[in-house]
Amino acid sequence: MYTNIKELVDDAKKKQQSISELMIQQEINENQATREEVWQAMEQNLAVMENAAKKGVTGDGVFSKTGLTGGEAVLLQKYRQEKTTLSGDTMIAAVQNAIATNEVNAAMGVICATPTAGSSGTLPGILFTITKRLQLNHEQQVRFLFTAGAFGMVIANNAGIAGATGGCQAEVGSASAMGAAAAVEAAGGSPEQSAEALAMAISNLLGLVCDPVAGLVELPCVKRNAIGAGNGLIAADMALAGLTNKIPADEVIQAMDRVGKGLPRALRETGLGGVAGTPTGLKLKMKIFGQTVADN
Amino acid sequence: MMANYKSVFDIIGPIMIGPSSSHTAGAVAIGRAANKVFNGLPQKIVVHYYESFAQTHKGHGTDYAIISGILGFAPDDSRVPNAIKIAESKGIKIKFIEETVDSPINHPNTAIIELENTDKQIKLAGCSIGGGTIEIREIQLDGFSIKPKGPLPIVLVKGQSSDNEIVEKSLKKLAQIYQTNKYGTSDQQQIFEYDLSRRLRSNDIAELSDKLPELIYL
Repeated sequence: MYTNIKELVDDAKKKQQSISELMIQQEINENQATREEVWQAMEQNLAVMENAAKKGVTGDGVFSKTGLTGGEAVLLQKYRQEKTTLSGDTMIAAVQNAIATNEVNAAMGVICATPTAGSSGTLPGILFTITKRLQLNHEQQVRFLFTAGAFGMVIANNAGIAGATGGCQAEVGSASAMGAAAAVEAAGGSPEQSAEALAMAISNLLGLVCDPVAGLVELPCVKRNAIGAGNGLIAADMALAGLTNKIPADEVIQAMDRVGKGLPRALRETGLGGVAGTPTGLKLKMKIFGQTVADN
Repeated sequence: MMANYKSVFDIIGPIMIGPSSSHTAGAVAIGRAANKVFNGLPQKIVVHYYESFAQTHKGHGTDYAIISGILGFAPDDSRVPNAIKIAESKGIKIKFIEETVDSPINHPNTAIIELENTDKQIKLAGCSIGGGTIEIREIQLDGFSIKPKGPLPIVLVKGQSSDNEIVEKSLKKLAQIYQTNKYGTSDQQQIFEYDLSRRLRSNDIAELSDKLPELIYL
Protein backbone atom coordinates (compact mmCIF):
# COMPACT_ATOMS: atom_id res chain seq x y z
CA MET A 1 0.00 0.00 0.00
CA TYR A 2 1.35 3.44 -0.92
CA THR A 3 1.71 5.53 2.21
CA ASN A 4 2.62 8.79 0.50
CA ILE A 5 2.65 10.54 -2.88
CA LYS A 6 6.43 10.31 -3.28
CA GLU A 7 6.29 6.49 -3.08
CA LEU A 8 3.51 6.41 -5.64
CA VAL A 9 5.31 8.67 -8.11
CA ASP A 10 8.69 6.95 -7.61
CA ASP A 11 7.15 3.53 -8.18
CA ALA A 12 5.41 4.70 -11.36
CA LYS A 13 8.75 6.03 -12.66
CA LYS A 14 10.67 2.91 -11.65
CA LYS A 15 8.17 0.51 -13.25
CA GLN A 16 7.42 2.79 -16.19
CA GLN A 17 3.71 2.43 -15.48
CA SER A 18 0.83 4.81 -15.06
CA ILE A 19 -0.60 5.62 -11.62
CA SER A 20 -3.92 4.05 -12.69
CA GLU A 21 -2.14 0.77 -13.46
CA LEU A 22 -0.37 0.78 -10.08
CA MET A 23 -3.73 1.36 -8.37
CA ILE A 24 -5.35 -1.55 -10.22
CA GLN A 25 -2.46 -3.82 -9.22
CA GLN A 26 -2.58 -2.71 -5.59
CA GLU A 27 -6.31 -3.40 -5.48
CA ILE A 28 -5.77 -6.90 -6.89
CA ASN A 29 -2.97 -7.64 -4.39
CA GLU A 30 -4.37 -6.03 -1.25
CA ASN A 31 -7.94 -7.20 -1.59
CA GLN A 32 -7.41 -10.52 -3.34
CA ALA A 33 -9.63 -9.58 -6.24
CA THR A 34 -9.31 -10.41 -9.91
CA ARG A 35 -8.54 -7.75 -12.49
CA GLU A 36 -12.02 -8.22 -14.00
CA GLU A 37 -13.76 -7.74 -10.63
CA VAL A 38 -11.83 -4.58 -9.95
CA TRP A 39 -12.37 -3.16 -13.44
CA GLN A 40 -16.08 -3.92 -13.46
CA ALA A 41 -16.63 -2.37 -10.05
CA MET A 42 -15.06 0.86 -11.30
CA GLU A 43 -17.15 0.75 -14.48
CA GLN A 44 -20.22 0.57 -12.27
CA ASN A 45 -19.09 3.67 -10.38
CA LEU A 46 -18.60 5.49 -13.67
CA ALA A 47 -22.11 4.53 -14.82
CA VAL A 48 -23.62 5.90 -11.59
CA MET A 49 -21.70 9.16 -12.05
CA GLU A 50 -22.88 9.51 -15.65
CA ASN A 51 -26.49 8.90 -14.65
CA ALA A 52 -26.41 11.43 -11.83
CA ALA A 53 -24.91 14.19 -14.02
CA LYS A 54 -27.61 13.52 -16.65
CA LYS A 55 -30.45 13.27 -14.16
CA GLY A 56 -29.62 16.70 -12.74
CA VAL A 57 -30.28 18.38 -16.11
CA THR A 58 -33.25 16.27 -17.24
CA GLY A 59 -36.50 18.21 -17.56
CA ASP A 60 -36.65 20.90 -14.88
CA GLY A 61 -33.89 19.19 -12.90
CA VAL A 62 -34.10 17.70 -9.41
CA PHE A 63 -35.11 19.40 -6.16
CA SER A 64 -34.30 18.64 -2.53
CA LYS A 65 -37.05 18.09 0.04
CA THR A 66 -36.18 21.32 1.85
CA GLY A 67 -36.31 23.41 -1.33
CA LEU A 68 -32.87 24.88 -0.54
CA THR A 69 -31.30 23.47 -3.69
CA GLY A 70 -32.33 22.21 -7.10
CA GLY A 71 -32.99 23.16 -10.68
CA GLU A 72 -29.86 25.26 -11.07
CA ALA A 73 -27.84 22.86 -13.22
CA VAL A 74 -30.67 23.28 -15.74
CA LEU A 75 -30.23 27.06 -15.61
CA LEU A 76 -26.54 26.66 -16.41
CA GLN A 77 -27.30 24.36 -19.33
CA LYS A 78 -29.74 26.90 -20.73
CA TYR A 79 -27.26 29.74 -20.20
CA ARG A 80 -24.59 27.82 -22.11
CA GLN A 81 -26.96 27.30 -25.00
CA GLU A 82 -28.19 30.88 -25.20
CA LYS A 83 -25.33 33.14 -24.13
CA THR A 84 -21.62 33.66 -24.49
CA THR A 85 -20.15 32.50 -21.18
CA LEU A 86 -17.40 34.50 -19.53
CA SER A 87 -15.24 31.53 -18.56
CA GLY A 88 -15.70 29.58 -21.78
CA ASP A 89 -17.95 26.61 -22.37
CA THR A 90 -15.50 24.02 -21.02
CA MET A 91 -15.42 25.60 -17.59
CA ILE A 92 -19.17 26.11 -17.35
CA ALA A 93 -19.82 22.59 -18.60
CA ALA A 94 -17.63 21.38 -15.71
CA VAL A 95 -19.59 23.53 -13.29
CA GLN A 96 -22.88 22.22 -14.70
CA ASN A 97 -21.85 18.58 -14.25
CA ALA A 98 -20.63 19.26 -10.72
CA ILE A 99 -23.80 21.06 -9.68
CA ALA A 100 -26.11 18.56 -11.39
CA THR A 101 -24.49 15.72 -9.44
CA ASN A 102 -24.69 17.45 -6.07
CA GLU A 103 -28.28 18.51 -6.67
CA VAL A 104 -29.09 14.82 -7.21
CA ASN A 105 -27.26 14.04 -3.95
CA ALA A 106 -29.22 16.68 -2.04
CA ALA A 107 -32.46 15.33 -3.53
CA MET A 108 -31.58 11.89 -2.11
CA GLY A 109 -30.80 10.41 -5.47
CA VAL A 110 -28.16 7.78 -6.19
CA ILE A 111 -24.59 9.07 -6.42
CA CYS A 112 -21.05 7.75 -6.19
CA ALA A 113 -19.22 9.32 -3.23
CA THR A 114 -15.88 10.69 -4.54
CA PRO A 115 -14.47 10.74 -1.92
CA THR A 116 -17.60 11.88 -0.05
CA ALA A 117 -21.24 12.51 -0.94
CA GLY A 118 -20.83 16.22 -0.19
CA SER A 119 -18.02 16.41 -2.74
CA SER A 120 -19.51 13.95 -5.23
CA GLY A 121 -19.86 16.56 -8.00
CA THR A 122 -16.24 17.68 -8.24
CA LEU A 123 -14.82 14.61 -9.98
CA PRO A 124 -17.64 14.21 -12.54
CA GLY A 125 -17.33 17.94 -13.23
CA ILE A 126 -13.71 17.44 -14.25
CA LEU A 127 -14.04 14.00 -15.85
CA PHE A 128 -16.99 14.55 -18.19
CA THR A 129 -15.59 17.87 -19.34
CA ILE A 130 -12.17 16.51 -20.27
CA THR A 131 -13.82 13.43 -21.78
CA LYS A 132 -15.41 15.69 -24.34
CA ARG A 133 -12.41 17.96 -24.75
CA LEU A 134 -9.76 15.26 -25.06
CA GLN A 135 -12.08 12.68 -26.70
CA LEU A 136 -11.34 10.14 -23.95
CA ASN A 137 -12.56 6.61 -24.60
CA HIS A 138 -14.32 4.42 -22.03
CA GLU A 139 -11.08 2.79 -20.81
CA GLN A 140 -9.43 6.16 -20.25
CA GLN A 141 -12.43 7.33 -18.23
CA VAL A 142 -12.29 4.26 -15.99
CA ARG A 143 -8.53 4.78 -15.60
CA PHE A 144 -9.15 8.40 -14.60
CA LEU A 145 -11.12 7.09 -11.62
CA PHE A 146 -8.35 4.67 -10.60
CA THR A 147 -5.78 7.48 -10.73
CA ALA A 148 -8.05 9.78 -8.73
CA GLY A 149 -8.57 6.96 -6.22
CA ALA A 150 -4.85 6.31 -5.83
CA PHE A 151 -4.16 9.93 -4.91
CA GLY A 152 -7.33 10.10 -2.80
CA MET A 153 -6.28 7.09 -0.73
CA VAL A 154 -3.03 8.78 0.23
CA ILE A 155 -4.89 11.97 1.20
CA ALA A 156 -7.54 10.03 3.18
CA ASN A 157 -5.02 7.93 5.10
CA ASN A 158 -2.73 10.86 5.90
CA ALA A 159 -5.15 13.73 6.47
CA GLY A 160 -8.77 12.56 6.29
CA ILE A 161 -11.77 13.30 4.10
CA ALA A 162 -14.53 14.31 6.53
CA GLY A 163 -15.89 17.83 6.89
CA ALA A 164 -16.44 17.17 10.58
CA THR A 165 -12.73 16.61 11.15
CA GLY A 166 -11.07 18.64 8.39
CA GLY A 167 -13.54 21.18 7.02
CA CYS A 168 -14.57 21.38 3.37
CA GLN A 169 -10.92 21.43 2.28
CA ALA A 170 -10.91 17.73 3.24
CA GLU A 171 -13.93 17.03 1.04
CA VAL A 172 -14.09 19.36 -1.98
CA GLY A 173 -10.37 20.13 -1.56
CA SER A 174 -9.46 16.44 -1.70
CA ALA A 175 -11.83 15.79 -4.61
CA SER A 176 -10.39 18.75 -6.52
CA ALA A 177 -6.83 17.49 -5.99
CA MET A 178 -7.74 13.92 -6.98
CA GLY A 179 -9.41 15.20 -10.14
CA ALA A 180 -6.49 17.49 -10.99
CA ALA A 181 -3.98 14.64 -10.67
CA ALA A 182 -6.13 12.26 -12.72
CA ALA A 183 -6.76 14.90 -15.42
CA VAL A 184 -2.99 15.29 -15.85
CA GLU A 185 -2.60 11.57 -16.52
CA ALA A 186 -5.56 11.57 -18.92
CA ALA A 187 -3.96 14.44 -20.84
CA GLY A 188 -0.67 12.55 -21.17
CA GLY A 189 1.23 14.27 -18.37
CA SER A 190 3.79 12.57 -16.12
CA PRO A 191 3.25 11.16 -12.59
CA GLU A 192 5.34 14.08 -11.22
CA GLN A 193 3.02 16.52 -12.97
CA SER A 194 0.04 14.73 -11.40
CA ALA A 195 1.62 15.23 -7.98
CA GLU A 196 2.27 18.92 -8.74
CA ALA A 197 -1.37 19.36 -9.83
CA LEU A 198 -2.53 17.76 -6.59
CA ALA A 199 -0.26 20.00 -4.53
CA MET A 200 -1.47 23.15 -6.31
CA ALA A 201 -5.14 22.16 -6.09
CA ILE A 202 -5.01 21.51 -2.34
CA SER A 203 -2.89 24.61 -1.68
CA ASN A 204 -5.52 26.73 -3.42
CA LEU A 205 -8.33 25.45 -1.23
CA LEU A 206 -6.43 25.23 2.05
CA GLY A 207 -8.59 26.39 4.94
CA LEU A 208 -11.93 25.94 3.19
CA VAL A 209 -14.50 25.61 5.98
CA CYS A 210 -17.46 23.22 6.34
CA ASP A 211 -20.48 25.38 7.18
CA PRO A 212 -23.67 23.72 5.96
CA VAL A 213 -26.87 25.73 6.49
CA ALA A 214 -29.14 23.82 8.90
CA GLY A 215 -26.48 21.11 8.88
CA LEU A 216 -27.64 19.92 5.46
CA VAL A 217 -25.42 19.03 2.51
CA GLU A 218 -27.01 21.74 0.34
CA LEU A 219 -25.88 25.31 0.98
CA PRO A 220 -23.07 26.11 0.26
CA CYS A 221 -22.03 22.53 -0.57
CA VAL A 222 -23.58 22.21 -4.03
CA LYS A 223 -21.82 25.29 -5.40
CA ARG A 224 -18.57 24.47 -3.58
CA ASN A 225 -18.32 21.60 -6.06
CA ALA A 226 -18.23 24.17 -8.86
CA ILE A 227 -15.03 25.61 -7.40
CA GLY A 228 -13.71 22.10 -6.81
CA ALA A 229 -14.10 21.24 -10.49
CA GLY A 230 -12.85 24.61 -11.77
CA ASN A 231 -9.87 24.63 -9.42
CA GLY A 232 -9.00 21.05 -10.43
CA LEU A 233 -8.96 21.91 -14.13
CA ILE A 234 -6.86 25.03 -13.51
CA ALA A 235 -4.36 23.11 -11.35
CA ALA A 236 -4.07 20.37 -14.00
CA ASP A 237 -3.45 22.94 -16.74
CA MET A 238 -0.81 24.68 -14.62
CA ALA A 239 0.99 21.37 -14.01
CA LEU A 240 0.80 20.37 -17.69
CA ALA A 241 2.29 23.77 -18.59
CA GLY A 242 5.25 22.92 -16.37
CA LEU A 243 4.39 25.03 -13.32
CA THR A 244 5.47 23.56 -10.01
CA ASN A 245 4.19 24.07 -6.48
CA LYS A 246 7.63 24.23 -4.79
CA ILE A 247 6.07 22.77 -1.60
CA PRO A 248 5.92 18.99 -2.19
CA ALA A 249 2.53 17.26 -2.36
CA ASP A 250 3.10 15.21 0.79
CA GLU A 251 3.87 18.33 2.82
CA VAL A 252 0.76 20.05 1.44
CA ILE A 253 -1.34 17.06 2.56
CA GLN A 254 0.22 17.34 6.03
CA ALA A 255 -0.54 21.05 6.05
CA MET A 256 -4.16 20.32 5.18
CA ASP A 257 -4.37 17.90 8.09
CA ARG A 258 -2.96 20.47 10.50
CA VAL A 259 -5.17 23.27 9.19
CA GLY A 260 -8.21 20.99 9.59
CA LYS A 261 -7.33 20.18 13.17
CA GLY A 262 -6.92 23.89 13.84
CA LEU A 263 -10.35 24.87 12.53
CA PRO A 264 -12.82 25.80 15.27
CA ARG A 265 -15.64 23.35 15.81
CA ALA A 266 -18.17 25.89 14.49
CA LEU A 267 -16.54 25.52 11.07
CA ARG A 268 -16.42 21.71 11.00
CA GLU A 269 -19.84 20.47 9.95
CA THR A 270 -21.79 21.61 12.97
CA GLY A 271 -24.02 24.00 11.04
CA LEU A 272 -23.09 26.82 13.45
CA GLY A 273 -20.43 29.05 11.81
CA GLY A 274 -19.73 30.48 8.36
CA VAL A 275 -22.74 30.92 6.09
CA ALA A 276 -24.76 28.60 8.38
CA GLY A 277 -24.46 31.21 11.12
CA THR A 278 -25.67 34.16 9.02
CA PRO A 279 -29.10 35.66 9.85
CA THR A 280 -30.59 34.09 6.72
CA GLY A 281 -28.83 30.80 7.38
CA LEU A 282 -30.31 30.66 10.87
CA LYS A 283 -33.74 31.66 9.56
CA LEU A 284 -33.67 28.82 7.04
CA LYS A 285 -32.70 26.41 9.81
CA MET A 286 -35.70 27.53 11.89
CA LYS A 287 -37.98 27.21 8.89
CA ILE A 288 -36.84 23.65 8.18
CA PHE A 289 -36.61 22.30 11.72
CA GLY A 290 -39.02 24.50 13.63
CA GLN A 291 -38.34 25.92 17.10
CA THR A 292 -35.76 23.43 18.25
CA VAL A 293 -33.60 21.03 16.36
CA ALA A 294 -33.52 18.76 19.38
CA ASP A 295 -37.07 17.42 19.48
CA ASN A 296 -37.50 14.02 17.94
CA MET B 1 0.68 2.39 8.76
CA MET B 2 -2.75 1.41 10.05
CA ALA B 3 -4.72 2.69 7.11
CA ASN B 4 -8.45 3.18 7.43
CA TYR B 5 -8.92 3.38 3.68
CA LYS B 6 -7.78 0.05 2.32
CA SER B 7 -9.39 -0.03 -1.10
CA VAL B 8 -9.74 2.32 -4.05
CA PHE B 9 -13.49 1.78 -3.66
CA ASP B 10 -13.43 3.43 -0.24
CA ILE B 11 -12.45 6.60 -2.12
CA ILE B 12 -14.28 6.16 -5.44
CA GLY B 13 -17.50 4.94 -3.88
CA PRO B 14 -19.63 3.84 -2.19
CA ILE B 15 -22.55 4.09 -4.56
CA MET B 16 -25.19 5.43 -2.21
CA ILE B 17 -28.38 7.39 -1.73
CA GLY B 18 -27.58 11.01 -0.78
CA PRO B 19 -27.12 13.32 0.99
CA SER B 20 -24.15 12.54 3.29
CA SER B 21 -21.56 9.78 3.24
CA SER B 22 -20.52 10.40 6.85
CA HIS B 23 -24.01 10.85 8.22
CA THR B 24 -25.92 8.39 6.02
CA ALA B 25 -23.64 5.68 4.56
CA GLY B 26 -21.34 5.77 7.60
CA ALA B 27 -24.32 5.65 9.94
CA VAL B 28 -25.65 2.54 8.17
CA ALA B 29 -22.21 0.95 8.63
CA ILE B 30 -22.15 1.69 12.39
CA GLY B 31 -25.67 0.25 12.69
CA ARG B 32 -24.62 -2.87 10.77
CA ALA B 33 -21.66 -3.39 13.11
CA ALA B 34 -24.03 -3.25 16.10
CA ASN B 35 -26.34 -5.73 14.32
CA LYS B 36 -23.45 -8.19 13.85
CA VAL B 37 -22.31 -7.91 17.48
CA PHE B 38 -25.87 -8.31 18.83
CA ASN B 39 -26.69 -11.14 16.43
CA GLY B 40 -30.45 -10.85 16.03
CA LEU B 41 -33.14 -8.23 16.43
CA PRO B 42 -33.30 -6.22 19.66
CA GLN B 43 -36.48 -5.16 21.46
CA LYS B 44 -35.00 -1.83 22.45
CA ILE B 45 -32.61 0.54 20.66
CA VAL B 46 -31.00 3.61 22.23
CA VAL B 47 -28.75 5.79 20.06
CA HIS B 48 -26.58 8.50 21.63
CA TYR B 49 -25.28 11.17 19.24
CA TYR B 50 -22.29 13.41 19.92
CA GLU B 51 -20.89 16.64 18.43
CA SER B 52 -21.41 16.92 14.64
CA PHE B 53 -23.76 13.91 14.71
CA ALA B 54 -25.82 15.52 17.49
CA GLN B 55 -25.96 18.84 15.61
CA THR B 56 -26.77 17.53 12.14
CA HIS B 57 -28.38 14.08 12.37
CA LYS B 58 -31.77 15.52 11.45
CA GLY B 59 -32.15 16.08 7.76
CA HIS B 60 -29.19 13.86 6.92
CA GLY B 61 -31.26 10.79 7.51
CA THR B 62 -28.80 9.65 10.18
CA ASP B 63 -31.68 8.30 12.28
CA TYR B 64 -33.17 5.98 9.69
CA ALA B 65 -29.67 5.13 8.39
CA ILE B 66 -28.48 3.88 11.76
CA ILE B 67 -31.71 1.94 12.37
CA SER B 68 -31.55 0.35 8.92
CA GLY B 69 -28.03 -0.85 9.75
CA ILE B 70 -29.27 -2.29 13.04
CA LEU B 71 -31.94 -4.15 11.04
CA GLY B 72 -29.14 -5.45 8.80
CA PHE B 73 -29.97 -3.54 5.60
CA ALA B 74 -27.27 -2.63 3.05
CA PRO B 75 -26.53 1.09 2.44
CA ASP B 76 -28.21 1.08 -0.99
CA ASP B 77 -31.28 -0.92 0.12
CA SER B 78 -34.43 0.92 -0.93
CA ARG B 79 -35.95 0.22 2.51
CA VAL B 80 -33.34 2.44 4.22
CA PRO B 81 -35.51 5.61 4.37
CA ASN B 82 -38.40 3.62 5.96
CA ALA B 83 -36.25 1.76 8.49
CA ILE B 84 -37.72 3.48 11.58
CA LYS B 85 -41.28 2.61 10.58
CA ILE B 86 -40.22 -0.95 9.74
CA ALA B 87 -38.51 -1.35 13.13
CA GLU B 88 -41.49 0.08 15.01
CA SER B 89 -43.87 -2.23 13.18
CA LYS B 90 -41.78 -5.11 14.57
CA GLY B 91 -42.46 -3.72 18.06
CA ILE B 92 -38.93 -2.38 18.58
CA LYS B 93 -38.69 0.64 20.92
CA ILE B 94 -36.35 3.34 19.64
CA LYS B 95 -34.83 6.33 21.42
CA PHE B 96 -32.40 8.96 20.05
CA ILE B 97 -30.45 11.11 22.50
CA GLU B 98 -28.51 14.24 21.46
CA GLU B 99 -25.65 14.41 23.93
CA THR B 100 -24.23 17.84 24.72
CA VAL B 101 -20.88 16.62 26.04
CA ASP B 102 -17.82 15.79 23.94
CA SER B 103 -17.56 12.39 22.30
CA PRO B 104 -16.23 9.80 24.76
CA ILE B 105 -14.28 8.21 21.89
CA ASN B 106 -12.87 11.53 20.75
CA HIS B 107 -14.39 11.96 17.27
CA PRO B 108 -16.92 14.59 16.08
CA ASN B 109 -19.07 12.03 14.21
CA THR B 110 -19.80 9.66 17.08
CA ALA B 111 -22.76 7.38 17.70
CA ILE B 112 -23.06 5.01 20.63
CA ILE B 113 -25.67 2.31 20.13
CA GLU B 114 -27.25 0.27 22.92
CA LEU B 115 -29.26 -2.81 21.94
CA GLU B 116 -31.13 -5.09 24.27
CA ASN B 117 -33.76 -7.78 24.58
CA THR B 118 -34.79 -9.93 27.54
CA ASP B 119 -31.65 -12.03 27.65
CA LYS B 120 -28.79 -9.89 26.34
CA GLN B 121 -27.53 -6.39 25.84
CA ILE B 122 -24.64 -4.84 23.96
CA LYS B 123 -23.17 -1.38 23.51
CA LEU B 124 -21.09 -0.24 20.54
CA ALA B 125 -19.27 3.08 20.06
CA GLY B 126 -18.51 3.93 16.46
CA CYS B 127 -17.41 6.99 14.55
CA SER B 128 -17.87 7.96 10.94
CA ILE B 129 -14.52 9.17 9.65
CA GLY B 130 -15.51 10.30 6.14
CA GLY B 131 -16.67 8.95 2.81
CA GLY B 132 -18.75 6.22 4.44
CA THR B 133 -15.78 4.61 6.26
CA ILE B 134 -16.10 3.99 10.00
CA GLU B 135 -14.10 3.03 13.06
CA ILE B 136 -15.35 0.99 16.01
CA ARG B 137 -13.55 2.10 19.15
CA GLU B 138 -15.45 0.36 21.93
CA ILE B 139 -17.76 -2.66 22.32
CA GLN B 140 -19.46 -3.92 25.45
CA LEU B 141 -20.37 -7.57 25.08
CA ASP B 142 -20.96 -10.34 27.64
CA GLY B 143 -19.80 -8.02 30.42
CA PHE B 144 -16.45 -7.29 28.73
CA SER B 145 -15.37 -3.86 27.58
CA ILE B 146 -13.54 -4.43 24.30
CA LYS B 147 -11.34 -1.63 23.00
CA PRO B 148 -10.15 -2.12 19.42
CA LYS B 149 -7.77 0.38 17.81
CA GLY B 150 -10.63 1.50 15.58
CA PRO B 151 -9.96 0.73 11.91
CA LEU B 152 -11.82 -2.23 10.43
CA PRO B 153 -11.74 -5.13 9.93
CA ILE B 154 -12.06 -6.40 13.49
CA VAL B 155 -12.67 -10.07 14.26
CA LEU B 156 -14.17 -11.12 17.59
CA VAL B 157 -14.32 -14.75 18.68
CA LYS B 158 -16.09 -16.11 21.74
CA GLY B 159 -14.58 -19.32 22.95
CA GLN B 160 -11.75 -21.14 24.73
CA SER B 161 -7.97 -20.76 24.52
CA SER B 162 -7.80 -23.62 22.02
CA ASP B 163 -10.09 -21.68 19.69
CA ASN B 164 -7.74 -18.74 19.92
CA GLU B 165 -4.94 -20.78 18.39
CA ILE B 166 -7.11 -22.07 15.56
CA VAL B 167 -8.32 -18.59 14.66
CA GLU B 168 -4.93 -16.98 14.91
CA LYS B 169 -3.42 -19.54 12.57
CA SER B 170 -6.20 -19.13 10.01
CA LEU B 171 -6.16 -15.34 10.20
CA LYS B 172 -2.38 -15.12 9.79
CA LYS B 173 -2.73 -16.82 6.41
CA LEU B 174 -5.16 -14.15 5.26
CA ALA B 175 -3.85 -10.92 6.75
CA GLN B 176 -1.45 -9.24 9.14
CA ILE B 177 -2.75 -9.08 12.71
CA TYR B 178 -2.09 -5.58 14.08
CA GLN B 179 -3.39 -6.23 17.55
CA THR B 180 -4.70 -9.16 19.57
CA ASN B 181 -6.57 -8.72 22.84
CA LYS B 182 -7.89 -11.37 25.19
CA TYR B 183 -10.80 -10.66 27.49
CA GLY B 184 -11.66 -12.94 30.40
CA THR B 185 -9.70 -15.76 31.99
CA SER B 186 -9.25 -19.27 30.67
CA ASP B 187 -11.59 -20.89 33.24
CA GLN B 188 -14.59 -19.07 31.79
CA GLN B 189 -15.94 -17.91 28.44
CA GLN B 190 -13.36 -15.69 26.75
CA ILE B 191 -13.47 -13.18 23.93
CA PHE B 192 -10.54 -12.73 21.55
CA GLU B 193 -10.19 -9.59 19.48
CA TYR B 194 -8.05 -9.31 16.34
CA ASP B 195 -7.47 -6.09 14.39
CA LEU B 196 -6.55 -6.99 10.80
CA SER B 197 -4.55 -5.27 8.08
CA ARG B 198 -6.87 -6.20 5.24
CA ARG B 199 -10.47 -7.15 4.59
CA LEU B 200 -11.37 -10.78 4.15
CA ARG B 201 -13.30 -12.17 1.21
CA SER B 202 -16.76 -13.48 2.01
CA ASN B 203 -15.77 -17.10 1.29
CA ASP B 204 -12.88 -16.82 3.79
CA ILE B 205 -15.23 -15.40 6.42
CA ALA B 206 -17.72 -18.21 5.76
CA GLU B 207 -14.95 -20.79 6.14
CA LEU B 208 -13.86 -19.31 9.48
CA SER B 209 -17.46 -19.14 10.69
CA ASP B 210 -17.89 -22.84 9.91
CA LYS B 211 -15.05 -23.62 12.32
CA LEU B 212 -16.19 -21.05 14.88
CA PRO B 213 -19.91 -20.28 14.83
CA GLU B 214 -19.37 -17.60 17.50
CA LEU B 215 -17.17 -15.48 15.20
CA ILE B 216 -18.07 -11.85 14.58
CA TYR B 217 -16.50 -10.09 11.58
CA LEU B 218 -16.74 -6.30 11.51
